[in-house]
Amino acid sequence: MNLAINLIQALLLIAIAPLVSGVIARMKARIQNRHGASLWRPYADLLKLFRKQDLIPNTASVLFRFAPTILFAATAAAAAFVPMLHPAALFGVSGDIILLVYLLAIGRFFLMLGAMDGGSSFGGLGASREALVSALAEAPLLLALISVAILSHTVSLSGIVLTTVQQGPLHLSAVYAFALGALVLIAIAETGRIPVDNPSTHLELTMIHEAMVLEYSGPSLALIEWASAIKLTLIMAMLAGIFAPWGMATSASIAALLLAPLALIFKLTVLAVSIAVIESSIAKLRIYLIPDFLGMASALAILAVAFTALMR
Amino acid sequence: MMQIAFNSFLAALLMIPAITLLCRRDSRVRALPSWLLLLTLLAGTIVAGFSFWRGGRLALDLSWVTPFPFALTVDRLSAFFLLLICVVGAPVVLFSTAYVERHYSPTKADWLWVLLPLFLLSMVLVVIASTAFAFLFGWELMTLFSAALILIDGDSERRRHNIFIYLMMMHASAAAVIASFFLFLPNASTLDFTSMRAAVAAMPMGLRSAIFLMSFVGFGTKAGIVPFHLWLPKAHPIAPSPVSALMSAVMLKTAIYGFVRFTFDFLGGGPAWWGYLVLLAGAVTGLLGILYALTEHDMKRLLAYSSVENIGIIYLGLGAALVLMANNSPAWATAALVAALLHALNHSLFKSLLFLGAGAISEATHTVDIEFMGGLLKRMKITGIVFLIGCCSIIGLPLLNGFVSEWVILRAFIAGSELTSLSCAILLPLMAGVLALIGGIAVAVFAKLYGVAFLGRPRSLQAEEATEVATAMQVAMALLAASCVIIGILPGIVLNPLTALASDLMHTAALPEAALSIAHTLPWVAVCIAVLIIVIAGFRRITRITATWACGLPALNGRMQYSSAAFSKPLRTVFSRVYEADRTVDVHYAQQPYFAKSITYRSVRTTSFEKSLYRPAVDMIVSLATRLRKLQTGNMQVYLLYIFLALVALLLWMRFA
Amino acid sequence: MGLIELAAAKALASSAVFLFITLLMMASAKRISTCIVLFSIQSAIMAAEILAIAYASKSIEAYAVASLVITVKVIAIPWLLFRIIKSLKASQDVAASTTGAQSVFIMAGLILLSFFAVAPYAKTLRLDEDLLAAAIALLLAGAFLMISRKKALMQVIGLLVLENGIFVAVLATTYSMPLVIEIGIFFDLLMGVFLMGLFVFRIRDTFEHLDVSKLRRLRG
Repeated sequence: MNLAINLIQALLLIAIAPLVSGVIARMKARIQNRHGASLWRPYADLLKLFRKQDLIPNTASVLFRFAPTILFAATAAAAAFVPMLHPAALFGVSGDIILLVYLLAIGRFFLMLGAMDGGSSFGGLGASREALVSALAEAPLLLALISVAILSHTVSLSGIVLTTVQQGPLHLSAVYAFALGALVLIAIAETGRIPVDNPSTHLELTMIHEAMVLEYSGPSLALIEWASAIKLTLIMAMLAGIFAPWGMATSASIAALLLAPLALIFKLTVLAVSIAVIESSIAKLRIYLIPDFLGMASALAILAVAFTALMR
Repeated sequence: MMQIAFNSFLAALLMIPAITLLCRRDSRVRALPSWLLLLTLLAGTIVAGFSFWRGGRLALDLSWVTPFPFALTVDRLSAFFLLLICVVGAPVVLFSTAYVERHYSPTKADWLWVLLPLFLLSMVLVVIASTAFAFLFGWELMTLFSAALILIDGDSERRRHNIFIYLMMMHASAAAVIASFFLFLPNASTLDFTSMRAAVAAMPMGLRSAIFLMSFVGFGTKAGIVPFHLWLPKAHPIAPSPVSALMSAVMLKTAIYGFVRFTFDFLGGGPAWWGYLVLLAGAVTGLLGILYALTEHDMKRLLAYSSVENIGIIYLGLGAALVLMANNSPAWATAALVAALLHALNHSLFKSLLFLGAGAISEATHTVDIEFMGGLLKRMKITGIVFLIGCCSIIGLPLLNGFVSEWVILRAFIAGSELTSLSCAILLPLMAGVLALIGGIAVAVFAKLYGVAFLGRPRSLQAEEATEVATAMQVAMALLAASCVIIGILPGIVLNPLTALASDLMHTAALPEAALSIAHTLPWVAVCIAVLIIVIAGFRRITRITATWACGLPALNGRMQYSSAAFSKPLRTVFSRVYEADRTVDVHYAQQPYFAKSITYRSVRTTSFEKSLYRPAVDMIVSLATRLRKLQTGNMQVYLLYIFLALVALLLWMRFA
Repeated sequence: MGLIELAAAKALASSAVFLFITLLMMASAKRISTCIVLFSIQSAIMAAEILAIAYASKSIEAYAVASLVITVKVIAIPWLLFRIIKSLKASQDVAASTTGAQSVFIMAGLILLSFFAVAPYAKTLRLDEDLLAAAIALLLAGAFLMISRKKALMQVIGLLVLENGIFVAVLATTYSMPLVIEIGIFFDLLMGVFLMGLFVFRIRDTFEHLDVSKLRRLRG
């Protein structure tokens, strides 16, 4: 029974990921006074790309062909770690935050290599900038997650969620506040949103993620786009699960099982709208101001860890 | 029976050089010594495996041949490191069978096959010695034989300078190690390990701290802790590739063995400040090592600096073990020690793989500068794939062995938050952040290395004409890669005996269940990812080969891609205070000031330690020696005066003491 | 336990956390108006604390102090500062001498330092450690803002934050705020802000800029 729900949960995350990015795009368009594309547009894009040819550059090697597959597999496996409907996930009990962070790193590494295999300078540009962002974002991400793990006395994501659910919403503590601040900044960096990276830019000199996928087309590009949507949804679900998990089904009653998806939709919508608002109101940072941005996240994460001991 | 195998293993290592000398004339049996060495190492693996997995002890006492006590014992810790030597040595020897005959003249090949078994024997001696004399004998021989092996590659002025620095620093480290042994002398006069272990209980804290500091400096220099790491990037790149692999993968681990033997076995842990010192050394070494590796485009120097970084990670684990032990958390201290030892094994596996790969590449392209490579994966498929596995392991990606040891170290750091001491409860989790930062930069470094060397277009003619290397070399590298994958997916194979080892060493009962939970998750994650990859790759796709989009320009060549310096530039700018770059731009004008004929840009990163630490120290010693030289006047009367003064002083001392 | 009591208890318990959050945001702020808004939020948090204490100890004096804080610190002084900025028509840039990340790191260090400094006293005097540490942190943060920001208006804001810190320190140690002292401090503050406002205009008219570091040219 548990296994079935966890499997459904993981598949659900993979399935609704394009919808989430569609909602964000629609919200941005509305804020910018445009009508915006349909919410289901990303699905249509994926279908279109899957039917097209896969163009391979003549200099590319076998790694170029396999990088999107490995990226998608690693990100989808990471999706099985995140509790959405109830405080447990497919790998939830023994899977933990460290494994989750490093699984996402697999995808990033292979995407960087695939970019360099294209043989053009844009791939190297994207890869070197992505190396900059990911090198500096890894420490604050891990530290922030470790701080909430220390509070919950467990390293598994579902254990953290369960502890927060049982504590109740009035139990605000400094650790959660600082960890939330750090994780919001890191989430923006990891998912490549403004102010770190513009996901809808057409100017190569401003690209980080887009420059890495310039050479990809057809099903490979579909896999990459889908994987980045999964990563975005995964991180949003993780934030919602760690900091506002109330509404998840803690018992097997019908009421709880009906409430859980509604609560999830509500939380994801709130997060999507906030991302859209942030993206429409701030300008993108210069590349060499990104270390500054990530430094602020590091300071907040260090404070979060320090406060786990100070406010015992 | 294992005892006989053990004795014959040692005897074989000693006799293979003689066999090499006998077989060098006859071309039919020239290959014999190399295959004998391979068989010997396989036998050694079995012997070591028996002691490591089943826990049996083996001993050999040769004191009747030597003037000082010379005994060899294989307990679990020695067996682990013996296993490390043999498991890494066998593929390296297999690699050398093909590599040496292509690269070296018959005379040099003979020298190599004489010195290589002796080098391996000296390392084996170090890890199985159970008296101080045997240990030091092996220790000094390691340095000598490795220096001789480096000399095989040539003795130009620069190489001799680097070898000289190597020998000097190894000598200093040997002096510190000898001092730490001799500090046991008043309490344990025979200087064999059992009496040393027993004598520690009676020693005052000050003496124990002195021994700890001496052994820390001595073994730290050999392992490559900052600021004693100077010799590593000078000595490892100039050695022949198989020897570099052995030096980086195995020789550094003998220093780890020595440090663990002294601190955890003899001294049995100590006050918390020991742990803080080791943690600080580990953090600084790890960060500086990987930051220096970021700037390198000589493949072997990059790998040498990355060895420095991994030694830093091992010391982080050891420091965590010491701090946890001093704060009454023995279960997690054992876990941290297990993690550090596992990382030593993992590092030797993937670092030897990477160095052998560098050897294969240098044979195919006749260069080790990655700025002249590119597109090698298309031309050297097997080498490229196993090198990729090596890169993924060293970064610490899941499903490979590097991840497992880093995971356990991180778990130990997180467990440190439950200590009662406030500073420890904050410091240990923050060290997890340092480890994550080191790992993040390592991803950038190895993405740069692999991307620039193996992917994209070739940047030179030699890279374009590269072909795959000999089968023996491919098989050797594939074996190491396979071991990385196996330990990555089924870490329980090595974790369980290591747990028994560490529990024995630290006298604890058992590890907390949470410390090794990763061993249960990883196989499932591997299955999940494998299933996903098979499902996705199974879909039929229509592919078409085209040219890379070049914004409409006619053709792209290799020089238009990102180079290694360009890739690392953003991160180098962020950490620019660590590097002190010396930049010069030389412009030659055909017609001032607009038409430049040639522009040369030079950027040299100076090693700040050489300028600020070593040069002043060397100058101080030399000036001290110059002043002492004045004592040697050459005048007979003055020398008689010295003897007279000594006599007077002795009389006075006898009177007043 | 009524809802108000719950809210009062919650306000007192977590006000330190909110104060730290405002300090960190002030460290990373790039515009003067952001700092002013954050200062008024800080004062509002302090007013909430006083109201909680007033409700718990049922003293009229505390209610009076709370209303004074709200009128002067949350509404009047920020309004005054906003008016000065608008009539100056100067740029809103904070002119910090440390980058954003460095400021946040220094602020985090100051917060940790205040915790370590306060720990022994809080135990012996049986006080609320968090609130006392917040007070010291506000003091240090105010001083840091005055040192590292070069605009004249930021000096004022730094001084105001410092005064907030003194206020919270009194709150943490005595759990009450004598009205007389509070009125005296407010009067000083108001005069200080008025005078600063006047001088800011004079400085701008004479030198045509408000950058404090350029005043160094006045030396002999």
